[in-house]
Amino acid sequence: MDPVLAEIYALVVPSLPYVAGAYALLWLALVVYIGMAYSRVGRIEKEMIVLEEALERRNAGA
Amino acid sequence: MKKYLVPVLLVLGGLLTTAGFIMAFFFTPPVLGPAITNEAGRILGYQPLFSQKIFYFHVPVAISSFLVFFFTAYYGVRFLMTKDKQYDTRARIATEVTLLFVIMTMATGILWTRFEWGRWWVWEPRLTTYFIMTLLVIAYFVLRNSIEDEERRATYAAVFGIIAFIDAPISFAITRIIPSSVHPVVLRAGGGLTGSQLAAFLIGMFGMLMIAYAIFQTRMREELVHDRLEALKASLEG
Repeated sequence: MDPVLAEIYALVVPSLPYVAGAYALLWLALVVYIGMAYSRVGRIEKEMIVLEEALERRNAGA
Repeated sequence: MKKYLVPVLLVLGGLLTTAGFIMAFFFTPPVLGPAITNEAGRILGYQPLFSQKIFYFHVPVAISSFLVFFFTAYYGVRFLMTKDKQYDTRARIATEVTLLFVIMTMATGILWTRFEWGRWWVWEPRLTTYFIMTLLVIAYFVLRNSIEDEERRATYAAVFGIIAFIDAPISFAITRIIPSSVHPVVLRAGGGLTGSQLAAFLIGMFGMLMIAYAIFQTRMREELVHDRLEALKASLEG
C-alpha cells in the first residue's frame, strides 16, 4: 500500500468508533428521554379517561 | 394546529440535525491537523482530523444547553416577580432539559477528548466552567428535593437558577477570555469556518434548537396533564 495512504487510513479510521459512538450516544439519550416523556403522557391520559368516566358515573348517580 | 407543532418540530429537528451531520461528512472539507512528513522531512500532506466531525453535533448541543438554561433564569425571574406557580414549573422543566443537553454535551465532548488527547478529561477553562455548570444544574434538583414547602422551594430554586445561569455566559465566553487550543474560538467575525462548514453547523444548530423546544413543550404538556389528573382525583375524593 502507498505509505501516505496507509498513514492517512491509520489516522482516520481509529477515530471512527469515537465519532460514531458520540453520535449514537446523543440520539440514544434523546430517543430514550422523548420516548419516556411520551409514554408517561399516554399513561396519564389513559388514567384521566378512566377517572373522568368514574366522575361522570358518580355525577349521574347523584 | 398546536397539537401537531411539537411532533412536526421533533421530526423536522431530527431531519435537520441528520442533514447537518451528513453534510459535515460528505460536503465539508476536512480540518487538517499536523503535517505528514517523509523520512527526509519533506511535508507530504496534513493529517485530516476525522474526529473533528463531532464538532457538528457537539457544539449545537452545547449551545442549546446554554440557551435552555437561560430560560431557567428567565422563568425564575418571572416567578419572583409574579409568584405564579406555572413559572416555577417552566423553570424546572427548562433545567431538566438543560440537564439532558449537558449530559449529551459531556458525552460527545469526552469521546472527542479521549481520542484526540488520549485522556477522558482535561482541566482546561471551557471544560472546567462547563463542569461547574453541570454541577450547578444537578444542585438545582438537589435543592428542590430538599425543601418540603412548595412556596419556599419555588423561591429558593428561582434564586438558585438565576445565580447558576451566570456560569453559562462565562463558560461560553471563556475561550475568548483565556484562549485554549482544545476549544478554539469558532464563532467569530472573519469566520473560523468555511461556507460549507458554517452551513452544516447552522443546519444542525437549528435542528437541535427545534428538538430542544419540542422536548420542553412535551414535558410541559406532561405537567399540565398531570395537574389535571391530580385535580380530577381531588374532585373524586371530595
